[in-house]
Amino acid sequence: MNVIDAARITKRFRIPHEKKTTLFETALGYVKNQVTYEDFYALRDVSFTVKRGETTGLIGKNGSGKTTLLKILGGIIKPTEGAFHLEGVAAPLLSLNVGFHHELTAEENLFLYGAILGIPRKEIREKLREVLRFAGVERFKDTKLKNFSSGMTARLAFAMMVQTDPDILLLDEIFAVGDKDFIPQCISVFRDYKRRGKTILITSHDTKLIAEHCDKTMLLEDGNLIMFDETRKVIDYYMNGNGGPHSQL
Amino acid sequence: MKKNRNYLNLIYELSWLDFKLKYYGSVLGIFWSLLKPFMMLGILYVVFFHFLKVGIPDYQVYLLLGIIIWNFFADATTDSTQNMAAKANLLQKTNLPPFIVVVSSVIQSFWTFVITLGIFLALFLILGFHFTWSVMMLLFLVIILVFLVFGVALIIAPLSMHFKDFRHIWDIFLQMLFWVTPIVYQYTNVPEKYLKWYLLNPIARIVIDARNAVLYNHVPEVKQLLITTGIVALICFAGLAIFKKYNRAFIEEL
Repeated sequence: MNVIDAARITKRFRIPHEKKTTLFETALGYVKNQVTYEDFYALRDVSFTVKRGETTGLIGKNGSGKTTLLKILGGIIKPTEGAFHLEGVAAPLLSLNVGFHHELTAEENLFLYGAILGIPRKEIREKLREVLRFAGVERFKDTKLKNFSSGMTARLAFAMMVQTDPDILLLDEIFAVGDKDFIPQCISVFRDYKRRGKTILITSHDTKLIAEHCDKTMLLEDGNLIMFDETRKVIDYYMNGNGGPHSQL
Repeated sequence: MKKNRNYLNLIYELSWLDFKLKYYGSVLGIFWSLLKPFMMLGILYVVFFHFLKVGIPDYQVYLLLGIIIWNFFADATTDSTQNMAAKANLLQKTNLPPFIVVVSSVIQSFWTFVITLGIFLALFLILGFHFTWSVMMLLFLVIILVFLVFGVALIIAPLSMHFKDFRHIWDIFLQMLFWVTPIVYQYTNVPEKYLKWYLLNPIARIVIDARNAVLYNHVPEVKQLLITTGIVALICFAGLAIFKKYNRAFIEEL
């Protein structure tokens, strides 16, 4: 059964030759008749389907359209053309500590972040200790976040994030943070999601991680879906530079 | 694909966050927001009562009620021009409806307004004035005012996302609006031939009726209230339409 069904998704960004960000400049531009654009395609005609319970990797160079694709599937931005259908609730987790505020304490931040993730207040209160323990910051629950290291902040966010229960997870480079002790913890949570039959889309530059966890993988290049196949084949293709003129990396 | 989610908790958390951050780290904290209308009252009272001799009876309470209503409108709308940019990260990286950022911003200003209004009513009684049941109309006017603020916020939030200089334009607009609202003077001072246009300003209408209800124990005319409601409804619908059309597209530009 298809959980994600995307048909011909195209995202075009209009880049004005002269970026006008103020009302004054815009008015001036109209008067002088100087409003010219250049089109930039972040995604071009991308179609694919994902089955329930599959873990799909997204690889490709910086700027190839991976994050844009996740943003579209997560409902954050709209595609210029094309359509998609999702079966179930999708959670776009594009960055770990969205909404965290450094002037608030760890505990206050958890209530806020939990609300952003859609966890009821009562449930947050019940799980607070568990979350703080999982993140390893129990002693610092009343410390302001500005005194936390970036790793500690990421752990706190991750610990709260895994309390959610979406059907589809859209993960953007979330394993890029955390130290050597925390990454195995992340991976075990990730495995648990897989075991529970969640559908996962994950972007990463870490091909080892993709090879280890993803059933299938997409390779994006300049907004085009070059290849969507078994992970091993796609990674071989990507690493061995069969990508023609773009592969000199 | 859409599962109905309860956003009340998030609205509560966001408005509480803004409230805490706004007065954070200042010695007087929340008292700054309460001090502001009274500072304004002091200055305007001295200038207009003693220097310019406006001669409006009970000028201190007359002025204060106008200032409190005005401050809510000015503060809440100014916040809405800044809040979208301040929450850019949240808007760009989650699929939360941008609507709730506007709602929580208005609610945040609303609490300050409720506190100052409570202080006003207490002072009013302490100073020896008294009101009759016509004060109940104030409740209706406050609801209308909240909808007005909300509607205006929905219109200007997308504008401030698209045009980075919009907040300066709004500042100037507010200064102008302050003087076309009967806060320091009486609307009867406005020349007759302009009055018809003058009374299209919904803030002016709310201030006039609030004074009628509280200071003069006089229930506002139903017809006038209906016109106010109509103007506010129009602004609200325009706000909803504009916001719905543009908010997603403008998030990319933040």
